[in-house]
Amino acid sequence: MTRRGVLLVLASVAVLCGAALVGPSLDGPRGAFIFWSLRVPRVLVGALVGGTLGLTGAVFQAIFVNPLATPSTVGTTAGATLGALAALVLGASAVGGLPVVVAAAFAGALAASAVVSVVAARGSARIHDVLLVGIAVTLAAGALSTGLQYTADMSALFASAQWSLGHLPQVGYRGVLLMAPFVVISTGTLLSLARELAALVAGEELAQAQGVDVRRTRTLALGLGSLGVAACVAWCGPIAFVGLLVPHLVRLLVGATERVLLPLSLVVGAAFLVGCDALARVALPGRDLPVGVVTAALGAPALIVLIARARRT
Amino acid sequence: MSELRLEDVIVEARGQRLIDGVTLSLARGALIALVGPNGAGKTTLLRAALGLVRPRGGHVTIDGEELARLSARERAARLSWLPQHVFVTEAIPALELVAAARYRFREGRRRSLEAARAALERVGAAALGPRIVQELSGGERQRVALAGALAQETPFVLLDEPANHLDPAQQLEVYELIGALWQSGLGVLLVTHDVNLLAQLGDAARVTVVGLAAGRTRFTLSYDDAKLFDELGALFGLELSVVTLGDRRVAVAARSVRS
Repeated sequence: MTRRGVLLVLASVAVLCGAALVGPSLDGPRGAFIFWSLRVPRVLVGALVGGTLGLTGAVFQAIFVNPLATPSTVGTTAGATLGALAALVLGASAVGGLPVVVAAAFAGALAASAVVSVVAARGSARIHDVLLVGIAVTLAAGALSTGLQYTADMSALFASAQWSLGHLPQVGYRGVLLMAPFVVISTGTLLSLARELAALVAGEELAQAQGVDVRRTRTLALGLGSLGVAACVAWCGPIAFVGLLVPHLVRLLVGATERVLLPLSLVVGAAFLVGCDALARVALPGRDLPVGVVTAALGAPALIVLIARARRT
Repeated sequence: MSELRLEDVIVEARGQRLIDGVTLSLARGALIALVGPNGAGKTTLLRAALGLVRPRGGHVTIDGEELARLSARERAARLSWLPQHVFVTEAIPALELVAAARYRFREGRRRSLEAARAALERVGAAALGPRIVQELSGGERQRVALAGALAQETPFVLLDEPANHLDPAQQLEVYELIGALWQSGLGVLLVTHDVNLLAQLGDAARVTVVGLAAGRTRFTLSYDDAKLFDELGALFGLELSVVTLGDRRVAVAARSVRS
């Protein structure tokens, strides 16, 4: 890896290690409790979610041969939003010890991405068709969500608005343990596809002629990638920009070779979200800002500046 | 003897017959140039030979084995392909693009890079390795793409209009390079519009020219056959003037005689 790559990893590790120290003072009798029971699990959740979104974004951009693809491209986030809204409107609170909003969002995310993955698994489907199906699922789920909001009362509306901003919840270590298996299976699979994705850089047909089982690759990437994303958005809502920004950031700073791009998108994604969450903790005195607001506020200008600089040189 | 064989191949798309019963046999070390007007089915035939389109009828076999029964990796061990255009979506160095073509080998990264460097060297493009593919000229990019096909280490290479969009000097260079690779023992199936470039391959008597029109074989002749240019004229709907330059014949389109 280049020196820039090593620096980027070191910076990311520093953010991940230092983030829990950011915020109101930890002095006093409750300091240890705040640190170990609130901040550390939140950093862990942020690292899991950010890493998953960053890596999945990089993989989906490769699979769809499209720099605008994000983890939400296949309808995962829209499905999760629809599920969560349905739960909020119906007013259920918990099933099997799990918040019903989380369970419903997870189910919605899986249902939406399953449609896209099934289409992708058909050999005859071109990748642009798969992308169009993803957009159609996203639009349909979005329209249903708006319809649901129309029928909701004020408190459900407020809760749904809050949910759709994207936030890192206080889920404690239990939440980390519930999320981790999905994230580990998903990211492990995606990282193992680096060679296939490297061949896909010159198009599906050439990759196939080079020996890549394109159908298997895209089914695995979309199916298991969406599984990890579903587990994340179910708990955290749609967190904007991480999946789009982070892979581009890595490309512009270090390079676009899949072998480097994938693991760095994972690490930088984790650090970016955890760092944004630390900022969200201190941005407004006395209350947390939803982290989705910070990722978008920082992410959009950062991406524009980087692209403008890359075009100049 | 290693052989790629297409037997009575029929390809259809949306109810239209694109290839209508073509039989072709390419031995290792042989070179077949597929020529024909636009829409004759040259590229489709190449794609059928690669297994990228499934024929409606007939058989594609390699060394007697049905292509459709082979896994993608097994096919990639026998056939490599240079498409008409190689679009690369990521800003990656040429060396990485060539190394990615080594997918069929289950090997470590160091080995892939070594083989990629060797392939670039074979096409005279060793210096291009660190350059970003998207910043290369058309001719340089074509060399790098050809290096990718070579890095696959297959007995057969299928080349689709390898000199398309290149300037005349680059066209000659690419054809000389293909000639050298062929002479080194590869089986080459080559799609082209431009028959004059075939003279650059060397050893004209061993170059087989197959004329394709409307999905059917119109003729199969050696490049040095006296009848070749008459047949080509009929194939393209042209009156060809043939000029002799030194030891080679060059065809010049005099006028269109398409009805």
